[in-house]
Amino acid sequence: MKEIQIAVIGAGPAGLAAAIELAKAQGNVTLFDENTKPGGQLFKQIHKFFGSSEHLAGTRGYNIGKQLLRETEKLGVNVILDAPVYAIYPDKTISYSHQNREQAIKAEKIILATGATENALAFPGSTLPGVMGAGAAQTMINVHRVLPGKKVLMIGSGNVGLIVSYQLLQAGADVVALIEAAPQIGGYGVHAAKIRRAGVPIYISHTIQKVMGKNEVVAAQIVQLDDNRQPIPGSEKILEVDTVCMAVGLSPLTELAWLMGCEFAYIPQLGGHIPKHNHNMETTVSGLYVAGDITGVEEASTAMEEGRLAGIACAQALGLYDQEKAHTLKKEIWNRLNTLRTGPFGKIRKFAKDELLKISREGTA
Amino acid sequence: MNQKADVVVIGGGVIGTAITFYLSQRGQKVILIEKNDLASGASGACDQDIILQSKNPGIHLQLALASSQMYKTLEKELDYDIEYENTGGMILIETPEELKIMEDFVNRQKALGLQVEILNYKEALRYQRGLSNHLVGSTYSPQDAHVNPIRLNLGFAQAARRYGAEILLETEITKIKVKNNQIEGLETNRGTIYTPVIINAAGAWAPSIGRMIGLKIPIKPRRGQIVITEPVPPFVMGDVLSARYIVAKYNPELYNNSESAAVKLGVGLSLSQTRKGNILIGATREFAGYDITNTRTGIKEILKNATRLIPELKEMNIIRAIAGLRPYTPDGLPLLGPVNGLNGFYLAAGHEGDGIALAPITGKIIADLITDGKTFMDVTALSPNRFLM
Ligand SMILES: Cc1cc2nc3c(=O)[nH]c(=O)nc-3n(C[C@H](O)[C@H](O)[C@H](O)COP(=O)(O)OP(=O)(O)OC[C@H]3O[C@@H](n4cnc5c(N)ncnc54)[C@H](O)[C@@H]3O)c2cc1C
Ligand SMILES: Cc1cc2nc3c(=O)[nH]c(=O)nc-3n(C[C@H](O)[C@H](O)[C@H](O)COP(=O)(O)OP(=O)(O)OC[C@H]3O[C@@H](n4cnc5c(N)ncnc54)[C@H](O)[C@@H]3O)c2cc1C
Repeated sequence: MKEIQIAVIGAGPAGLAAAIELAKAQGNVTLFDENTKPGGQLFKQIHKFFGSSEHLAGTRGYNIGKQLLRETEKLGVNVILDAPVYAIYPDKTISYSHQNREQAIKAEKIILATGATENALAFPGSTLPGVMGAGAAQTMINVHRVLPGKKVLMIGSGNVGLIVSYQLLQAGADVVALIEAAPQIGGYGVHAAKIRRAGVPIYISHTIQKVMGKNEVVAAQIVQLDDNRQPIPGSEKILEVDTVCMAVGLSPLTELAWLMGCEFAYIPQLGGHIPKHNHNMETTVSGLYVAGDITGVEEASTAMEEGRLAGIACAQALGLYDQEKAHTLKKEIWNRLNTLRTGPFGKIRKFAKDELLKISREGTA
Repeated sequence: MNQKADVVVIGGGVIGTAITFYLSQRGQKVILIEKNDLASGASGACDQDIILQSKNPGIHLQLALASSQMYKTLEKELDYDIEYENTGGMILIETPEELKIMEDFVNRQKALGLQVEILNYKEALRYQRGLSNHLVGSTYSPQDAHVNPIRLNLGFAQAARRYGAEILLETEITKIKVKNNQIEGLETNRGTIYTPVIINAAGAWAPSIGRMIGLKIPIKPRRGQIVITEPVPPFVMGDVLSARYIVAKYNPELYNNSESAAVKLGVGLSLSQTRKGNILIGATREFAGYDITNTRTGIKEILKNATRLIPELKEMNIIRAIAGLRPYTPDGLPLLGPVNGLNGFYLAAGHEGDGIALAPITGKIIADLITDGKTFMDVTALSPNRFLM
């Protein structure tokens, strides 16, 4: 069986950044992704990113992706696409499906950068064709250039719900309404203002009750919620729609970490069960690292920094960097991560991340 | 916390819960203690076959026949949906050599009253589509059935509770109290239980309980890996095994000198489909200690074997793999009954690959032995004392 030094699983911003750092350190690194194009979430993001300018804020997501790709090409990173990794065995043998068959490779170190997956809601009719994740709709319009439907109901007013609603409008769909169960909008005001200006009604304290249709969505019934989040009888509204998008949060994609026997911590603010890890992004399984949304749902900027961190720590463990050099590099990254995790949303995440590091330390002591 | 019981059962798999049910039904005060959770051992990581045809003609088949009879009314008795279905089953035959062994096997089974016949390749196709054309034929029995083993395990437990049994989960036995060769009780991580009778139904872990009182129980964990597909429309006719499995089980010498990975892992086909539509593709039979991880070679060999016999399986997507530990015994028969020289200590373990099929009859036999001192059939051949003397 082929043996390599480092395998990075997932070619989103975290995985790309990790692979770049490892290649810079002369590591023998192979990057895997299940898609036919690298970039993870980035290539779906046609909007300008938020954050600080040092972190490419103001740059559109897909352009950040292009920059990362150019760098991996320049450094000669081995990228294997169309290759979902579906198993890792205790001896770090990786099984992936590629060119219609199972293939395997053994790695000394592994970095998991698998990102996150969309949450779904269950309601009568939720399995009808036309009900989908907002991320799926975004992939259809921005990557494949296919309109999922003409009249859309969006559920969830976080940034994903707001941004995807706007992009659906740009793609030519009619967003009939955006509903939010909480009594206030979840995402940034600028994004909400944009879709309001475009005439999309935003119903706060509303939820979906059911979707009607036989073979496909023809209408959706929504209802208002009281202070205890109970439906208010008589407030039901039927909206004529052919598509229902759910933007109700993301959960870290952690199956491979469970399979490897990592210890986990439950941190709701970060999206649920997160593999415990230390300041080097190494999990409780020696030689297995994590970076990006798998360590808690955040942003592309933090994902890239965590990827770099994992890459450098991994290079250090392999003897590619001496202690001092690695220490300097890691310190710079931690400073940047701490800057990124500020502001009203960032602060909550920083608190949660610190908690995770603390629990991880206690757990492995 | 100190408690008292007529009987304490150790192990919350299908065997332990079956015994608890039949004893409670007869008015005994039973406490079951389980280290982890119900169905956390082999009973939650196995196939679903109540297959009669695979049993060696003899006491093994007799037990299975009696158990299969009990299954007919079990769902009602438990008042719980155990997804029991009398589907029929077949054993695929690949070579003339296997055919000869199976013909003899089938004839001896018929003599004991099993309805079973040998089919040629064309006849076999009527029951199961997609069979590879290298097959010689198969056996077929309308008496085979299947059941959801996890629901069976939970159903026994729930019904036992209705009859007053107490089930203590996450409770581990730490010490057995004996006085003048008589069981007095046991200690657990949650306190002491006083009882004159302890039943060791800890499956592959039974030896660790035996060691507490100096008994050397010859049970070993034999790992079985299973691969599971996505739900698909009805495809598998019932229980489908391969003769290689039977031949390897009862005539191991025929394969012993083979060097292939499949033989080393003891791979034999066992195929069935759940009510939801997932196909269970098994299995390996390996000695790997108490390790329940799936291995890449294990999964690969299982799939190679299954697709060799039924090529159409290649079209289905795999969604997961599991592994469980069969409680193996040197002669392939369970250890059922009292242990000589230690009053009140019983064994009910070592069902290897047949514990689901044999759970009801095991529960009944042990309940008979404890309440009446005897049972409806001669079970001396199953006595643990055959190994413990
Ligand atoms: C609508 C939307 C708007 C956003 N806007 C912003 C923004 O403005 N600013 C910002 O900073 N962030 C934004 N983000 C968040 C940002 O996109 C993510 O935080 C970031 O992409 C996470 O990076 P990652 O590398 O961890 O994961 P991902 O980008 O999700 O990449 C993971 C990759 O791994 C692959 N993968 C997973 N499992 C396997 C496997 N088993 N085998 C092979 N491959 C696998 C996936 O297919 C994927 O390609 C937005 C996200 C969304 C959905
Ligand atoms: C891959 C595979 C396929 C199979 N297919 C079939 C089939 O199709 N048909 C069939 O009839 N059989 C089948 N079997 C066999 C069947 O699963 C077993 O024979 C049966 O489950 C054994 O049941 P049990 O209750 O004896 O053991 P288990 O289910 O293993 O239960 C033993 C219990 O004891 C507990 N325990 C252990 N130590 C202690 C302690 N110190 N204190 C308290 N509790 C303890 C364990 O936690 C466990 O829950 C298969 C097995 C495998 C592995």
